[in-house]
Amino acid sequence: MISNIIPGLLMILTSFLLPTIPQYFRQPAMLLSVGLSALSLFNGYGTFLEWDVLGLNLILYQSDSLTFPFSIIFHIAAVLVIIFSWHSKNLMEHMATIAYAGSAIGALHAGDFFSLFIWWEATALTSVFIVFAGNTKAARDAAMRYLIIQVSSGVLLLIGACLLLYQTGNHNLTVLDLTTDFGIFIFIAFGIKAAFPFLNGWLQDSYPESSVTGTVALSAFTTKLAIYALARTFPGTDSLIWIGAIMTAFPVFFAVIENDLRRVLSFSLNNQLGFMVVGIGIGTELSLNGTVAHAFVHIIYKALLFMSMGAVLYRAGTTKASELGGLYKYMPFTTIFCIIGAMSISAFPLFSGFVAKSLIMSSLGGMGMVLIYFVLFFASAGVLEHSGIKIPYFAFFAHERKSKVKEAPINMLIAMGIAAFLCIGIGVFPKYLYQILPYTVEYQPYTIDHVISQLQLLVFAIIAFLFLVKFKLYPSEIKSTVLNSDWFYRKMLPGIGKPLFKKIGLLTEFIYENLRFFFRLILNKSHKFSNSSYIKVTTPSFAATILISILFIMLLIVLL
Amino acid sequence: MKKNNLTSMGKSFTKYILIIGALLILLDFTFHRHEYFSFAEIYGFPAFFGFVSFVFIVLLGKWLRKFLMRKEDYYDQ
Repeated sequence: MISNIIPGLLMILTSFLLPTIPQYFRQPAMLLSVGLSALSLFNGYGTFLEWDVLGLNLILYQSDSLTFPFSIIFHIAAVLVIIFSWHSKNLMEHMATIAYAGSAIGALHAGDFFSLFIWWEATALTSVFIVFAGNTKAARDAAMRYLIIQVSSGVLLLIGACLLLYQTGNHNLTVLDLTTDFGIFIFIAFGIKAAFPFLNGWLQDSYPESSVTGTVALSAFTTKLAIYALARTFPGTDSLIWIGAIMTAFPVFFAVIENDLRRVLSFSLNNQLGFMVVGIGIGTELSLNGTVAHAFVHIIYKALLFMSMGAVLYRAGTTKASELGGLYKYMPFTTIFCIIGAMSISAFPLFSGFVAKSLIMSSLGGMGMVLIYFVLFFASAGVLEHSGIKIPYFAFFAHERKSKVKEAPINMLIAMGIAAFLCIGIGVFPKYLYQILPYTVEYQPYTIDHVISQLQLLVFAIIAFLFLVKFKLYPSEIKSTVLNSDWFYRKMLPGIGKPLFKKIGLLTEFIYENLRFFFRLILNKSHKFSNSSYIKVTTPSFAATILISILFIMLLIVLL
Repeated sequence: MKKNNLTSMGKSFTKYILIIGALLILLDFTFHRHEYFSFAEIYGFPAFFGFVSFVFIVLLGKWLRKFLMRKEDYYDQ
């Protein structure tokens, strides 16, 4: 019976029941719902639930080799988030988190664009409460902007789906291209959530404003759902290669100068999505495997890094690089876990990032795409800079800390420990990851050429860092805001709009003022006229003169 | 003592990294490193590329501050 329930739906139901469950049983109940939902992983591939409604056949639950790895990792991420937030008593955030994870898992199993749209909006509406739970003015403002952008993405998806149905009579998830108008609508809808260049502002705007635990949940689902959707609908779309390459390279520079370490991680998240998008753009079996593998390991190490910064925020009260440093002494376990996450994302051999990124790099190399290959190679040095070095260095080292702080709570350490274990486990035994990928491809990441080449890149980038610090060339941390693409709608549009509306307001006021003047003029004249003695005899009242004036004006208008 | 902790850690870290870096370069001379592109097979190419990329990223990022950096309360004004 349970096999026909849409995966994730039980988690959403649990979310509604959560307020009725006593506090100490909430996390176990959430874990149980994730466990029950995960039973769907044993169902195999196929279509399990369809629903005919309004003449449309909605495929509510289907699974295949592409949904499978995403479904596994979404369940793992949900478990990590629940353990990490075990100490928290924030009911709203727990409800939002479990419903959000459930919606994302449900979305993976949608078989047509309309079902996908429903889940697409559900992830937006649930996750906005997680941003909201940051519970500061900045968080509330960011949440509203986040909601607007996310819902816009959903609306574009709906428009695309309707056009697709209208023009082709089909609404199932299929491979689309950019020569059709519905293809473009759907592409942009996915592109917003996948944080394409210039559509990425919402990510760095909202994620760092969320709570200690909320950012971990946010980092896992929305963007990777978009990657899944792109991999399903737009594999082999050439423009994605360029879009992805830009995504890997550009956020790197922003991350260098950003002061808030959770925002640095958000830029880094954007850069990681770039690697996945390139893989989709190439569209070969090897590269699509690379995209899925990268999404899989990325969710774990990115969650680990956000968890370590969450722990820092929880204990030290800030994640601003300018106010941190020296925490290694007080938070040794968090430091070690953070470094493991940092080494994984930097793709050191024996860590999970290496075995996933290699697939994408090899498919680029195999296709002879020399320019994109080196853009991504360059971006790898960038990843090492912002996530590999900057995050651990400024939080835990940099300089000695004056005030004491406590190590992270035990539940946080357990969650980070599991994630760190997975990072190393996948790095050492990549075959288990490769087994669940969509295509069967024989691939060996650990060749001597590849290991030496990667190690040379990383080690000499670290030497470059030491060199820059030694000669005081490394930019010091400054309390600041770094402009990003959200500037367009946070500053530029209001900057144009506000004065414009003010001008329009002044103009209408001016027109009214003049009209009033004319009206008074006529009124006075008619008063005078009606009060004069010779007319009094024939015209009975003041009203009549007004009437005549109005008729006269109307006549003028008609004639003109 | 307290103050020396981080400095000594940094010093020994630098030492080990330099040794590893030197070993990696030496290793390059012991075998022919196969790459997808022939120019990447030059001795120490990834090392050079990593070093230059890193310096470029940091220095360009620093320069971009002129255009992209605003006060912390920029959006609240």
